[in-house]
Amino acid sequence: MSDCTVRLMLGNHAIAHGALEAGVAVATGYPGTPSSEIIEYLIDYGREFGVYAEWSSNEKVAFEIAYGAALAGARSITAMKHVGLNVAMDPLMSSAYTGVRGGFVIVTADDPNMWSSQNEQDNRWVGLHAYIPVFEPYDPQSAKDFVKMAIEFSEKHSHPVILRSVTRVSHVRGPVTVCQPAKPRYAEGYVKDPKRHALIPANARALKEELIKRWGIIERSVDELPHMYVEGGRNLIITSGVAFTYTLEAVKNYGVRASILNVVTPVPLPRKTILNAVSNADRVVVVEEGDPVVEQQLKALLYDEGIRVPVLGKAENLFNRVGELTINSVMDGLSKALNIVNPLLSKNPVKIDYTPPPRPPVFCPGCPHAASFYELKISTAKAGVKPIFSGDIGCYSLGINNPFNEQDLLTNMGSSLGLGMGIYHGTHGGEFVVAIIGDSTFFHAGLPALVNAVYNKTPMLVVVLDNRVTAMTGGQPNPTSKVDIGSVAKALGADYVSTVDPFDVKKAQEVISEAINVVRRGGVAVVVMKRGCALEATRLFRGYVVRYYVDENACKACGICYNLIACPALIPLENRKAWIDPYMCVGCSVCAQVCPYNAIRPEGNVKEWLSKWAEM
Amino acid sequence: MRLNIYLAGVGGQGLITFATVLGDAALRTGYKVLIAETHGLSQRGGSVDVHVRIGDVDAPLIPRGGADVIVAFEILEAFRAVSYANEDTVFIVNRRLIRPPATRQRIPRIEELEGILRNSIKNMHFINAYEDAVKLGNAIYENMVMLGALYSIMNLGQYIPRSIIEEAIKANVRRDVDKNIKAFALGLKYGSGTA
Ligand code: SF4
Ligand code: SF4
Repeated sequence: MSDCTVRLMLGNHAIAHGALEAGVAVATGYPGTPSSEIIEYLIDYGREFGVYAEWSSNEKVAFEIAYGAALAGARSITAMKHVGLNVAMDPLMSSAYTGVRGGFVIVTADDPNMWSSQNEQDNRWVGLHAYIPVFEPYDPQSAKDFVKMAIEFSEKHSHPVILRSVTRVSHVRGPVTVCQPAKPRYAEGYVKDPKRHALIPANARALKEELIKRWGIIERSVDELPHMYVEGGRNLIITSGVAFTYTLEAVKNYGVRASILNVVTPVPLPRKTILNAVSNADRVVVVEEGDPVVEQQLKALLYDEGIRVPVLGKAENLFNRVGELTINSVMDGLSKALNIVNPLLSKNPVKIDYTPPPRPPVFCPGCPHAASFYELKISTAKAGVKPIFSGDIGCYSLGINNPFNEQDLLTNMGSSLGLGMGIYHGTHGGEFVVAIIGDSTFFHAGLPALVNAVYNKTPMLVVVLDNRVTAMTGGQPNPTSKVDIGSVAKALGADYVSTVDPFDVKKAQEVISEAINVVRRGGVAVVVMKRGCALEATRLFRGYVVRYYVDENACKACGICYNLIACPALIPLENRKAWIDPYMCVGCSVCAQVCPYNAIRPEGNVKEWLSKWAEM
Repeated sequence: MRLNIYLAGVGGQGLITFATVLGDAALRTGYKVLIAETHGLSQRGGSVDVHVRIGDVDAPLIPRGGADVIVAFEILEAFRAVSYANEDTVFIVNRRLIRPPATRQRIPRIEELEGILRNSIKNMHFINAYEDAVKLGNAIYENMVMLGALYSIMNLGQYIPRSIIEEAIKANVRRDVDKNIKAFALGLKYGSGTA
């Protein structure tokens, strides 16, 4: 193949490019770390090759669109983070029953160690639960290769396939051989087949029988995939995914003597391949990222076959059950399992007598959320209410930190309204609930909950932090650019709806106060705080140089600005006066409005800048 | 050959661009490269790290105690990176202190912090990347100054020609390519291996 080149590529881009090379026609997803760059790439580069790619309003919708396309016969892919797959579980379970016509790959990007997530669920279980095979790549190159294999496998068996990535595959850059995209394979039309595609109970029963048969065929077919076997003696290490790379280094560099079998499919296990490898082994160690999915299946398999060989892994606590694998944790486990000395322990650690304070993530300079949280805090305090702040998933989760402390509960996408209503009813109306939700999250899962609040008359203040993009995952567009949240809330019958700019500090406080009164009278009030993400605004509208500075003679060192807004550009000096870092300030004007001594002054045309920014 | 380069800094300081330029240049020269990055929530002004591994490597993460060189874009982050260091690890630290917001803990002055590092680390290099970058007109060039410093201090010219680094800057940096190349060149003064 002459038109292939080797490029340094992010794992997620490799997945996306694999889809292009496989002739995927339809690609959908909902942003979520560590999955977002897959659909981003397909939108940026896939469209020019004729691929239909979209950001959907949530993972269930994304899943259904790709699934529908595959039912018609198109090749399709849908990508989401691990917890996003929970939202798509309903159609996912059905997809195994109906099967598909075109190759259909479901990418789940799991997040061991919870770098940017609320849990570290291992979605390989989903494959066992739903009868869907799971392919697990271990680096960017294999990610590309496995996607292509998965599409072919899916189409061959008319069955969906899950591709499980993890943070250390999705967000790793490595060399990838990149070839020309294939022509997207769309379906020529949709051939009706209600007996297969309409899951009324009578059809579903027949299809379940068929599914079990198909699963048997799939179990045998996975043996034909290119599982990797590295010969190295009578200790056998079975790996899946990124665990393979650590194990390979352990064997190459750290004195571990063992054979390695890396499986392409942790679900279902390639039985023949495994039994073959085990027949030459005195001891088996399983290394895998996440839960003991391979380990448990392996033990069942060996029991069925009457093979008695020690199997060591997570059940023996040799490898961590919490957090991600590292070469250190893998070597810890392997050295215990194989009774060898771990050479990584002999390195002399460097000692140093100072531990810096932690540096958690913070709101960006000029972040409208910081202003909103400030205003919400002041207004509720003035009104004398002590709200429960029911939070949600997004950059605004950072409102949990000082000085705001306005995210009391926060569990999953859209939970702010649902949990908030639960707190209200669970306390027999004893608590004043503020639900705080972002624009993308509102459309994702907030809508049905708001309908419920109106329908079941649950008094609540809903604050929608509308910063115009899905900011936390990199500023992806979402329905707020076309569908006005205030109008939606009005149409749904909320008792009070108002849209306000959080950069207008006084006005925003007035609006929140009005809304609080409506809630006190038993109403549902919706306040939309509308102002574009600062990070996106400065990216979009480069060239505006507006910033603020502190007049050191006017500053009375009261600390109100840096203590209450906590903008990272606002820095307290040794004399407790404020200083603004000119390279960080983006000129949002909020600190200037908050300073009681009028000590913060603009440089540049503020009006023009803020109205430009408001175009987002 | 195997080089483990551990990058530590604050979200927004351009660690990923640094790693991409270096990695791309290494790949163009014929070495294998793996880079493990931090994305998502932690990027918002929090501590971030990036593992860059060049040469004979298979796994994405550097072992604890296994870094050949630690490049800290901010001085407090250099302290946080020590678990990746051994006695021979070279430290290249930007003379810049970014205060973690909303902390009650007293932060020593930068001179004090420098002193502590010098007393505990054998191979210590301080870089005025912020000053150099501001001379070029913007603090965002800091990362390329740091890359120049790494290149000269670690004598990377023996593996990767300077012209290829410049090629990689052109290929991977979207804006102000010339200034970025200049920033890289400014960083070369910190070491002797300018190749
Ligand atoms: S105007 Fe004030 S609050 Fe806004 S970005 Fe600048 S320093 Fe921060
Ligand atoms: S609010 Fe005004 S007076 Fe108070 S510290 Fe900030 S700039 Fe100084």
